[in-house]
This record gives sequence, C-alpha cells and structure tokens, in this order.
Amino acid sequence: MYFILLPIFFPILAGLFLLIHYRTPLSGEKKNAGRKSLLLLTGCFLVITAVFVVIALFCEGEGFILFYLTKDLPIYFRIDNVGRLFSALAVIVIPCAGFFSFEYMKHEEREGRYYGFYLLVFGVLNALCFSGNLITFYLFFELLTMSSMPLVLHSGSKEAVMAGLKYLFYSLCGAYAALFGIYFLYRNCDSLTFTVDGALRASAITEHGTFLLAVAFIMLLGFGVKAGMFPMHAWLPTAHPVAPAPASAVLSALIVKAGVLAVIRVLGMFGRDFLKGTWVQTAWLCLTLITVFMGSLLAYREPVLKKRLAYSTVSQLSYILFGLAVMDETAFVGSFLHILAHGFIKAALFLCAGAIIYKTGKTRVEEMRGIGKEMPVTMWCFTIASLGLIGIPPTGGFLSKWYLALGSLNSGIPVFDVLGPVILLVSALLTAGYLLPLSIHGFFPGAAYDYGSLRKREPCKLMTVPISILTALSVLVGIFPHLIIAVIHMAAAGR
Amino acid sequence: MIVTVILIPFIAGILVPAIPFQKRWQKEVFLETAVVLNSILVWYLLLHHSDSTFLLAHFTGNLNISFRVDGMSMVFAGLVSALWPFATLYAFEYMTKEEHENVFFLFYTLTYGVTLGIALAANLLTMYFFYELLTLVTVPLVMHTLTREAVLASRKYLYYSLGGAAFAFLGLIMVIVYGSTTDFILGGVLDPAKTVGKTNVLLLIYVMAFMGFGIKAAVCPFNSWLPQAGVAPTPVTALLHAVAVVKSGAFAIIRLTYYSFGTDFLKGTWAQYAVMSVVMFTIVYGCSRAVKETHLKRRLAYSTISNLSYILFGAVIMTPLGLVGALTHLVFHAVMKISSFFCAGAVMHQTDRHYVHELNGLGYKMPRVFGIFTISALALMGVPGLAGFVSKWNLAGAAVESGNPLAWGGIACLLVSALLTAIYMLTIVVRAFFPGKDFDYSTISDIRDPNWKMLLPLFVFTVFIILFGVYSQPVVGFFMSVATGAV
Repeated sequence: MYFILLPIFFPILAGLFLLIHYRTPLSGEKKNAGRKSLLLLTGCFLVITAVFVVIALFCEGEGFILFYLTKDLPIYFRIDNVGRLFSALAVIVIPCAGFFSFEYMKHEEREGRYYGFYLLVFGVLNALCFSGNLITFYLFFELLTMSSMPLVLHSGSKEAVMAGLKYLFYSLCGAYAALFGIYFLYRNCDSLTFTVDGALRASAITEHGTFLLAVAFIMLLGFGVKAGMFPMHAWLPTAHPVAPAPASAVLSALIVKAGVLAVIRVLGMFGRDFLKGTWVQTAWLCLTLITVFMGSLLAYREPVLKKRLAYSTVSQLSYILFGLAVMDETAFVGSFLHILAHGFIKAALFLCAGAIIYKTGKTRVEEMRGIGKEMPVTMWCFTIASLGLIGIPPTGGFLSKWYLALGSLNSGIPVFDVLGPVILLVSALLTAGYLLPLSIHGFFPGAAYDYGSLRKREPCKLMTVPISILTALSVLVGIFPHLIIAVIHMAAAGR
Repeated sequence: MIVTVILIPFIAGILVPAIPFQKRWQKEVFLETAVVLNSILVWYLLLHHSDSTFLLAHFTGNLNISFRVDGMSMVFAGLVSALWPFATLYAFEYMTKEEHENVFFLFYTLTYGVTLGIALAANLLTMYFFYELLTLVTVPLVMHTLTREAVLASRKYLYYSLGGAAFAFLGLIMVIVYGSTTDFILGGVLDPAKTVGKTNVLLLIYVMAFMGFGIKAAVCPFNSWLPQAGVAPTPVTALLHAVAVVKSGAFAIIRLTYYSFGTDFLKGTWAQYAVMSVVMFTIVYGCSRAVKETHLKRRLAYSTISNLSYILFGAVIMTPLGLVGALTHLVFHAVMKISSFFCAGAVMHQTDRHYVHELNGLGYKMPRVFGIFTISALALMGVPGLAGFVSKWNLAGAAVESGNPLAWGGIACLLVSALLTAIYMLTIVVRAFFPGKDFDYSTISDIRDPNWKMLLPLFVFTVFIILFGVYSQPVVGFFMSVATGAV
C-alpha cells in the first residue's frame, strides 16, 4: 500500500518545488519563456497526480501507517468509499480549474506561487480523503487551511490579505474546537480509526454521556466552520470573492467540503445511535436550516456575482449538513449526491463568473445585461448549472434534493421532518431568484438595450472546455446515478 | 564530579575578562570549548549517575548544601546543557554589534553554572540558594546596554525576583518544620504526624510559595518584569528568559509540588484549584497581550508567559501524567521558543528592525530565517507532526484523564491560547511573505540571511522541533519513568 503515498506526496513535493524554483517573480523578457515552462510543469504535475489518484481509487487494501506521533497515535492512510467519492470529485475539479487558471492568471503576478500552493492543496485534499484516523485527518485539515490561505490572498491587495487572515483564523478556531473533542474522543475510544457505527466505549457512554454529547456538539460546530455553518459562516463570503476565480471554484467546490467530510467522520466516530434524538441533533438541525435559509436570502440581495455565489455556497453546504443531521440512510444518499452535484455545479458557476470577469471586467450582476449574446457558451453553461442548483430534473441537483427531502420525511423526527423539506423548497425558490436573472437578462437584455455595443467576447478553449466538462458532469450525475448511489450505500455501511 | 560541572562555567566565566586575549576568535574558541566541554561532562554525569548524594557543606540540623542526580535534574540539566553551546555560538555573532563583551560573557557563562546548580540540587535549601544566586548573576545581563530603559527593567526584575524568593522562603521554612527532611523525594516529605490540624495553613503557605517561585515563571499578576527584560541582548532573552531563568521557576514549582509538599497532600484541595485558576488565567492572558504587542521580542516574551503556564498547568494537575505533560512542554517549548527568539534576534541583528510592522517582505530577503520562524510558529500553534502538538497532546491527555472538571476547562484555555498563538505568530509570517501589492522591494534590497554562526543553531533547533514532532516516544517514555519515579 505504499502507492497510497504517491497521490499525496507527489503533488506536495511538486508544489514545494514550484514555490522554491519560482520564488522571485518573473519579469521582463524572460517572462514569456518562464511562464511557458511554468505552465508546462504545472500541467504535467496536475495530470500525473490525477493519474495517481485514479489508480489509487481502485486500490483495495488494509491501509498504510506512515509513522507514530506518540505511542498509539499513528499517521495512518486508508482508502474507503467515503474517501473515494470525495477524491473522485477532487480529481475532476482541480485539474479543470487548474487548466482554466492557465488563461485566467495570464496577467497576474507571482504565478509560480499560485501554482505551487495550488498543487499543495491538491495533495493535502487527497491526504484528507485517504486519512484513516482522526489525528491524520486533523493534521491535514490544518495543513489545508495553511496551504489554501495563500490562494485567497494571492492578489495581495489589502482587502485580500485581510480576507486571507480572516479565513485563516476562522478555520483555526474551528479546528481547535474540533481538537478539543479529539482529546476526549481519544480517551473514550479504543482507537481513533474511522468507523461508521460509533467507537465510544460503552462504559464511557454510561459514565460521561451528557458531557460527551456536549463534546460532539463542539466538534460539529468546529468542523462546521469550514463548511460555513451558521454562526461561523462569515469568512466564506469574504474569502471566496477576493480569491482568483479558479481558486474560488476550488474553495467552494472542495475545500469547504473538507468540513463536510470531517462531519461525516465525526458522526461515524460518535455513532448515529448515540446522537439520534438528542439535543445535539435538534440544535444541529436548527443551525443547518437557519443557514440554508439565511444563505439563500443573503445571496438573493447580493449584487456582486462572486459574493452571491459564495452566499449560495453557504446555503447549499447546509443542505448537505442537514442531510447528515437527519441521520437517515436515504438522506445520507442525498447528502452525498449533493456533495458531488454541488461540487461540479459550483465549480462551473465560479469559473463562468471568472470568465466573465476576465473578458469584460464586470463583477456586478446588473452590469451583465446582454452578456449571453457576447459569451454564449459560457452563459449556456451558467444557465444549465443554475438549473441544476435550483433542482430542476434531470440534473444532479434535483436528484440530491429529492433524496434529502425523502430522507427527512422518512426520519420521523418531530417538526423537522416536514420543516426541513419546506425550507429546502423555499430556498430552491430563492436560488432560482438569485441565479436565473443573470441568464434571463443575459440572453434577453430587453428592447431598450443597445445591441450595437455587443462584441463577440467568448473566451478561449482553455476556459470554455473546463466549464463545459463540469457542467456536463453536473447533469450526468442526475441522469446516471446508479453506480454512485451503490457506492454511497457501501460507504454508509462502512465498507 | 557534580561540583565540577557547576564550577567550570564559574572559572571559565571569570577567566574571560582576566585573560588578555589578543584576538576575538581566541576568546570565542576558549569560551566555546569550555562550554562544550562542560556540556559533555554534564551529559556524561547524567548518563552514568549514581544515586548517592554529594554533600558540599553542612550547616545545622538537616540543613546542608548537597547535590544529587535524579530524574527531574536529568531533564532540566540535560536541556540546559544541550542548549547552552548553541546559544553561546549564536551570542558570538550577535554580540559583535554590542559593547562590553567581556562582562557579558562573564555573567552569561556564570549563569550556566548557577542554572546547573538549581537542576542538580538535592534539597530545597540548595535549590533556594542557587535560585537567589541566579537572580543576582542575571541582573547585569538585563542591564547590559545601560540605557535608562535597561536599568529600570533590571531593577524591576531584581525586586520582583527577590520578593518572590522571600515568599518561596516561607515554603522552605514550612518544609523544614513540618517535613521529615528537606531532600527531594517524589511524593513529598511532609510528615503526617506533624501536619495534623495545620492543613489549611500549609496549603496557604504552598500557594504563597507557588506564587513566589511563580514570579520567575511569570505567573500573572507577577509577569510584567519579563517583557520589560526584553531590552537585554537577544541571546539573553532567548536562552535565559525563554529557558534557563523562567524554567528554573517552573522547575522549582515542580520540585515544590511533587517532591516537597507532595501531590497526595495537595490534590483536590482548594490550593490546587486556586493555583490552577491562576495558571489557566495566565495562559489566556499572556497570549492576549502577545496579540496586542507590536514589538517583536516583547510579543515573544508574552508568548513565553503563556507557554510557561502550560508547563505549570501540567504540573498542577498533580498526576504523573500531568508531570509528563509538564516535562514534555518544558523541553519542547524550550526548543521552539529559543528557535523563534533566535530568528527575531537574527532579524534585529541584520536589519535593526524591532517592530512587527517593519517586517514586511523580509521573507524574500531572509528566506532561511523566516522559513525557520514559520516552522517554529506552526510548532507553537500545535500543528501535528511538530513538537508543540505532542506536548499539548500530553497536557490535554493528562487533563482529560485526571477527571478534574477545572482541568477540562484548562483544555479549553489551551485551545483558545493556541488560536491566539496562531494570530500573533502567523500575522508575522504573512507580513514577511505576503507584503502586499504596493510593497516597494527596493527598501529591503540590501538585507540578507545571517552567517553560519547564527544559522547553525537555528537549523539544529528546527531539526529537533521536527524530530520531537514525528518521533517523541523515547523522550516521552523517559519523562514517564521520571514521573513515576523509576529513574
């Protein structure tokens, strides 16, 4: 199982190499030649890593212990189905957004630093997916924050640096809250290796049951920070818009989902039986539903496109968390489908927003009247992805919401079994409200619009192809879900 | 043999101004040889120690000056003697820009002997003697620059330390009166027959002695001398005010708690809760002040205040695991903090910049120093795989295990402090590496990394930060045997 190390450490080393080799900014005549070799290298690294990940996805095995932190605290990697699903998402989104950056970052400075950290993030995400126990996960969770922060503050403006720091401190705050829980889990479990049906010792539950519930809640809140759960969501709308668009795509589609992955793992450690029907579940359901509604509402009244998408991420991630909080197998399937669907959709949307900014410099929604006439491919993709996020059949978004609602209704939790789907529907309506106007005004600018000023501004293939791939995948998830659902069921059973 | 290792630094120190060295390098070679030789002797002594006590002088009754090597002294003496040669090497380079070198190295080397005296003391009286002596030999080091600020700082340091020692003296008397002996014996020496009915008085005296020794360990509210003493040259701040002096305070408290009063006597009493509350408050207070502080060295000094209380927190859990946590942090924090202090010193030496907001962009000009600084920052925050994580893990593990709800609150303090640590350390890192769009690189064009004398200690410490992080079992296992009295 040495092979499992390759998709983790190859991109990390490659990223460090880029960081060191391109530490001084390219300038003058050398810029073009230097840029070419940088892009070639990055492209190769991305493709090679992707190949490693794909091979690793088909690996079966016992896992691999890298070393021991203390006597019984191994850094341990293992491939299970939860990790497979996440890394399948990552292995598609990261190269797509990476190739998109080749064009997008053309006029930015310090590209070497950007791609260096981009590759680091790739490796760390793989490590998160393949972590076999909580402490390994925690290690890479921290590293993910550190390595993705430079992507947020890349532009170096005052605003970006402050946003980067805000992101850093929110995430660390969450991570430390989680660490608090890890200390207690370690003492009350036989090992920190991930399971799906609870690792707490029976004696611990009878002795400190009440306290352990509080610990579980603190951990959920802590990891929830990364997933933008109310009340610690504020970093998300600050950090996502200032990052370069491909980085926002990765942030929104993958990095925030590290929080979701963490919550799945924590749920498994505590066990659904332990948490079901307790105040922790109720409080958690409340928080997720508040976030779903609030996120959509804030997105609805936000005029800046990327910020609007960031609020939308806040809302959509809590769909996933809601599905997990219901603690029902059908809702679990819905959550997982939404992880994939939202991952593809949001990456596509952010890349579209990036393409628009790159070509026209427009950031606010009301400026984008008639944009569909200028950039038809981009806007078609934007429209299809929007429909997916709203949840129109046959897209992936429809299917995931269907399962979420079904699971919620089946769960038999008083009040929330009905309240959940109602709020999901209201939020879907709001989603339509904040996404569709772009398409409508983009394609139908109205009679008063000055058609003479329109120019063809479709971006080059390097941009449109990744967007199209992601959009297509978001639809395909909805049309051919059987394989995915089978894997999710296996993941839920802990295989 | 035990006395030799204490005397060699004394002799070497006094010889520095006495011998008329022709060239500077001769002095350097002389001092470095003496220090390295002494360190080797110390390690030899620790590895081949016998249980016998060496009696130097006998006063009256059971009062005597004597030395002995036991588990605790092995930890502290081993730590100090491992760090001293590197710090001396660093000091050679750093002091090229300062005056009165001879006086500096005289007292600097004297301090080595005195600290070893504290570490190797066999009873409370001997430790108290060297503890007072430590104050006296380090005052000239704080005063070194002779500016008004430095004189004030050293005066404050002197008064605080002497006052603290006076309180500690009360503890000493109580142990003499109510104990069977003043020797250090794991589990305490209080005689149950004598203490009947006097419990509360003894506990009160324990708290007073704790705070007395705690002054050197910068326990709140007696911490303000430490940031002020940062006017001293960096080798002093790094080695003495992050390791030797302040950890003598922590070491003395551990001796007092585990080896004189005994944990059985103290555990679960109001005294334990009182000192634990003070320590928990200091953990958060130190970090908060560090966040607010803009002077680089003073910021690190506040960080030290907080981290020293981590050690004390482990100590006042009053279980063997708590002692393991305390010892782990005692050693690991020493390496991390000395590394970050040396980075700060390197920056000051190379650029004459003292404030955090002056560090913009320096990461590109001094990549090695700031790379190492980043690693020590991550370690102090407690990122897994680096030393700080292991010590925090041990501390928190001990707190969970103790079943003491206040100690569980202490874990929360540790984590709040970790977050604040991230804030005050990483803002520096971000400034250094991401100076912002409009930054004018020409203002720092002639700055570069320092030479090998400064970098070598930094590299060695970094290696140890990582080594302790990924492979800590032998060290922690040793601490375990110290805490259970097996060594």
